[in-house]
Parts: sequence; structure tokens; C-alpha cells
Amino acid sequence: MKMTKIYEGSHQWIMFGRDENKPGNIIDTNQYAVRTANRCLLLDPGGAELFAPMMAAVLHHAPVDQITDLFASHQDPDVISSLGLWDQALTNAKLHAPAIWEGFLRHYSCESIEYVPIPDSGGTIKLDSVELQIIPAHYLHSSGNFHVYDPQAKILMTGDVGAAFEAPYAPVFVDNFAAHVEKMRYWHQRWMPSNQAKRVWIERVRNLDIDILAPQHGRMFKGDDVKRFLDWFDALQVGIAV
Amino acid sequence: MTNQTKSQFVAVASITSELSAVMVVAKEISLAAANAKAIAFRAGDKAKGFQPITDFINELAKETIELVTDINIHALVLYRLTVNEFQKTTAYNKFELAAKMAGDAVYANTMQEPLDNARLSMQDCQRQFKRDVSQLLGQLEAVMHHARAARVIAANSRIEASQAGEYLQSLQAVAESVDKAAHTIHDNVQRCRIALSIYRNN
Repeated sequence: MKMTKIYEGSHQWIMFGRDENKPGNIIDTNQYAVRTANRCLLLDPGGAELFAPMMAAVLHHAPVDQITDLFASHQDPDVISSLGLWDQALTNAKLHAPAIWEGFLRHYSCESIEYVPIPDSGGTIKLDSVELQIIPAHYLHSSGNFHVYDPQAKILMTGDVGAAFEAPYAPVFVDNFAAHVEKMRYWHQRWMPSNQAKRVWIERVRNLDIDILAPQHGRMFKGDDVKRFLDWFDALQVGIAV
Repeated sequence: MTNQTKSQFVAVASITSELSAVMVVAKEISLAAANAKAIAFRAGDKAKGFQPITDFINELAKETIELVTDINIHALVLYRLTVNEFQKTTAYNKFELAAKMAGDAVYANTMQEPLDNARLSMQDCQRQFKRDVSQLLGQLEAVMHHARAARVIAANSRIEASQAGEYLQSLQAVAESVDKAAHTIHDNVQRCRIALSIYRNN
């Protein structure tokens, strides 16, 4: 599992992905961790198949008892089907996930982890002195969907927005936006159902100061590529399957 | 999922299926008992010996239904335990792999506690499963005992029926139906026992 530190300040952001041991027939995913002095939040910690390499990678940054928070942007298996395993490994953890998915996510088994339901309007996650904002992103693509914004690190974790089909060992950042567009187009047109939801989300995130836009699949966007992505997405017609 | 886990799921699920068939047959015996009672009543003195047998048949059917209802509850508990054991075993295997993969990670040693806890949970589940299987086998043996008793009653019923004159055929039909039902119960329960017995001392 490749680990890339994408922010180092009073706290850290680490991106995990490009797992070389991943079975070939499951989609590659990016996981993120926010590490503060005494706590560690895992964002979209991944599928059950990925649990062991992900846990092993996190142990380079935090002890098990300091993995205190999990966040699931939505209910998909590649996002959170590892929940039942984290549930048995962590004795004192919370899962921050959309309120509307609670009864569904509990199918993955959630006995010791406390489910913190996120209302449709969003909320915050406080880790030591760091406060992260939970940004609504409903219908992008899931009907109950959230992203996480860190105003200090200026990172927006965007779940499936900005995702792309990539080669297994692709670089972690977009280095040629024009060439990257074709890897994203079908994904966004087919998986994102609503142009209205897309417009509302773009309006919302244009007000944020973002250095890195960090999706759950493919490469991250940094610097000017963040604005390029928002402009491209703004102009794209989505929901093409109907 | 290993082949043994798959077989365990199938074995536990098959109990419910076999027992639902036993339940149907036990209800048929109960119906046969009511039928026999009516015939014996009409036959009067000619079926005097048959009358107490009908009460036996009815009692046996009632007890079998109660036993099977109880076993079904235990089978459901056993199924949940199988799911639990599967989850605990999966977790233990994944934790072991994570600890191995962590190698020289700074916090690799903190995986030891979850790994130890997972091992204990898994072993607890395995012990409980064996205990519950033994208990269930005991209950299944009780149903087998009822089935054997029903066959003895069926044999006695045939003897009594032979002295019932014009009611001979009707009462013999009752005896046949009890015997057939007892056979079915015996065979179905025996299949349950065979499926489960490999897990008792496994």
C-alpha cells in the first residue's frame, strides 16, 4: 500500500492507495487519514478485502488505540465494507456517516463502534484542536453523501467526485489535466445522477479555499487543477443513462 | 470462506429444513390420532383395545411438535453462532495478516491486543458451537425416541385393528399412517444427526 503525506502542519494528512496486493477484480481506492496529536481519523477506510493492508499501513502513523474516528462519505462497499473488521479491532471509535444510511451500514456489523449519524445539513468532526467540516454532497453520487473539508490544510476530500479510472500504478496527483479528462468523463456522466445536485455542490465548494481536491479513486488535484476540475465538472452533463 | 465453514452453514441450515418436514408429519400423526379416536368410538367394544392407543398416538404427536419447536429455536441460535464464528474467524485471520504486513511499522506492536482478543473470541465461539451442537444432538435423540415409540404403537395398533371386525380396514389405515410418519421422522432426524455429529468432536 502506497502512503503519501499530503499535508504536514499542526496535524497530518496521509493518502493510502495503489495497493499492489489488491485482487485485480476490485476497483482501486484511495483512503485518507487525518492524524492529530492523540487521534486518527480514517476517511473512506475501504472494502473488507483491503482491511489488512490498510491497517498495516496506518500502523506506520498511529497506534490502534488512537484510531478513534472513521468517516464514510456514503454507503458503497468499496468505501466501508471493512466496517465489521474495524468494529472488532477498535475498542473506542466512532463512525461518522450519513444519517440516512445508518440502518443499511449496520448490515456490515457495527457493534462496538458508535455510529454518529450526520444530518443532511452536514456538521463537523473535532480531532484534538483540529475542526473538520462535513460538506453535503447529496446525489453525488449517493442520495446521502458527504465530503470533508479541512480549512487549515485546505484539503477537500470529495469521495467519488473527481474520481477516475486509472492504471494500477498511476501517479497520485494529476500532472496533465487535459489528458486526465477522458479518464473522468464516463465516470461522472454515468455515476452522477443529477445536474442540479452538481450545480449546488459546485456553488458550495467554490466558496472554499482548496489547495488539494482528494477523490476516492484515481489522482488528486492540486493548485490550479482544482479550479480546472470544478469548471470542467460544471460544464459536464451528467445522468446520461436515462 | 473455507469448505469446512461452508459445510457448517449448510449443516445448520439443513436442520431447519429437515425439521419443518418433521413438523408436517407430526401434525399428520395428530390428525390420524383424532381420526382413529372417532373410528374407535364408532366401533365401540370391537375396538376397545384401540381406544387407549389413540390417546398415546395423540400424546406422542403433541410431544414431538413441542420438541421440534424447541429444536428449531436452538437451530436458529446455532445458525447465529455459526455466523458469529465465521465473522470472528475472518477477523482473526485478517488481524494476523495485518500484523504480519505491518512488519517494522512504528506501531506494529499495538496490533497484538486486537489479535489476542480476536483469537479468544474465535475460540469462545468454537467452544460454544460444540456445546450447542451436543445439546441439539441430545434433543434430536429425544425425537428419535418418539419415532421409535410411534413404530411400536403402530405395531400394536395393527394387532388391535385385526380384532375390530368391519372396522379393520379403517384402523389398519391409521396404523399404516402412524408407521409411515414414524419412518419419515426417523429418517429426517437421522439426517440432521449425521450432518451435525461431525462438529461435536471436530
